[in-house]
Amino acid sequence: MRRFEDMNPLCAAFYYLCVLGLTMFGMNPLTLSLSLLSSILSAVLFGAVKGRGHAFSLILFLIAALINPLIVHNGMTVLFYFNDNPITLEAVLYGLTAAGMITASLYWLRCLSKVMTSDKVLYIFGRFSPKLALLLSMSLRFIELLRVRWRKIQDTQKALGLYRDGNLIDALRGRARVLSVLIGWTLENGIVTAESMEGRGYGSGRRTSYSAYRMHLSDWLFLPVCAGLTAVAVVGQVRSTVVFYPDMQMELWNLWGILGAAAFAVLGTLPLIINAKEALRWRGLLSKV
Amino acid sequence: MLTIRNTKVRTLLRYAIPFLLVPLLVAVGAVAFEGKRYLIISLGIAVLALLLFMTGFERRNIGSRRMVITAIMTALAVFGRFIPVFKPITAIVVLTAVYLGAEAGFFCGALSVLLSNIYFGQGPWTPFQMLGFGLIGLLAGYLGRVLERSRVLLALYGAAAGVLYSLMMDVWTVLWYSGGFDGKLYLAAIGSAVPFTVVYAVSNAAFLMLLYRPVGNKLRRIKRKYGV
Repeated sequence: MRRFEDMNPLCAAFYYLCVLGLTMFGMNPLTLSLSLLSSILSAVLFGAVKGRGHAFSLILFLIAALINPLIVHNGMTVLFYFNDNPITLEAVLYGLTAAGMITASLYWLRCLSKVMTSDKVLYIFGRFSPKLALLLSMSLRFIELLRVRWRKIQDTQKALGLYRDGNLIDALRGRARVLSVLIGWTLENGIVTAESMEGRGYGSGRRTSYSAYRMHLSDWLFLPVCAGLTAVAVVGQVRSTVVFYPDMQMELWNLWGILGAAAFAVLGTLPLIINAKEALRWRGLLSKV
Repeated sequence: MLTIRNTKVRTLLRYAIPFLLVPLLVAVGAVAFEGKRYLIISLGIAVLALLLFMTGFERRNIGSRRMVITAIMTALAVFGRFIPVFKPITAIVVLTAVYLGAEAGFFCGALSVLLSNIYFGQGPWTPFQMLGFGLIGLLAGYLGRVLERSRVLLALYGAAAGVLYSLMMDVWTVLWYSGGFDGKLYLAAIGSAVPFTVVYAVSNAAFLMLLYRPVGNKLRRIKRKYGV
């Protein structure tokens, strides 16, 4: 086994698809609280979210939780009246659940962004369409090139005394001039790239793309485990009753509900389990030497 | 393994997606979820639509010059998001579409969203954004003849695209939040997004006015000089 980040990108993509699907499409408070917990844990351990990110998530959670009871007035149990509008318990709880769903999804997505680096995105698209992968990788390369060239042009303009940052109009004009030079330079240069591609035989045969990833045994094992846990969690969600309006009917603690929640708990912490196992093994190897 | 190498399968997908899979998805979604899960259905359709364009792209033979220039314009749109005070994604996508055609516009829009979200964070909204920007580019490409002639029309198109895009993304926000479509929540979402929408539409128009000459002239020149 390898660390979760080093596994085949298809595994990571599938994993986050499962977790996000379960989080986004089920409004089950039990699964969602597990999802929120494990996503925060994942995000912290992968280093995907730093201090300010957590503060932002908290604010988002509060806003999302408040919007629903203020706008939706369905529900039987009236807590109090706000501006002559009833605030109901059901709407408050629905708001909390929806807020949990949104916050958990965002944490999962931050993990996804952290794990799915651009080379992995490229790998996945390359499997689907080599030509698209070429377009993507060229664009990625041009982004860096544009950054370097932008700096060069800016420095040159400054040295010529043309570039001023005094007020907004001046700054905009200066930027527009730099951009104009940048576009002219890069487009003309791009034609050279295209000529060079054709000179080396681009388009003369079927395109393939190289990839640094293989499917290892652990990758083949990972996929069915992930799929199985997701299936159990889905059955758990289908078998439990979650109704918010007009009055709440929750049935979360039946057999399938508990099994589904347990499966979700394992699924949510799967990358952490894999990484912990790897860390332990590494420590074991170290002490032997 | 997952690469669609077989031309026949690709052709099949190209026809199966719009005529079979999308209606099937809507029907199954409506029956299985009792019409509650618009989110899954809409997400599925967005992904399928993107797949459709990709299969078409893989099949067609666009010249290497057009391809490199599309890549440069995509990179430029992504790069634009890094420059402070400068957010010209829509303007660049529209100009690319007008001068390089509808397909280049679609890919410039969709891929610049995908790539910039690698830096700014992917979300469940990524497929919708990709489709939204892709369609802005596609439409601009179809209207290219008209838009190329008039700067005012171009600016109007940019503003309209901005407003329509915001309205579409608000539908998605409401679907995500409440699981179904709620008119009141939608109005609230539009209302709270009004300042952003206005700034967005105005800045689209402004950037199109501003970039029309420098970018447009250069693209036109490249086209004429090298016959892209």
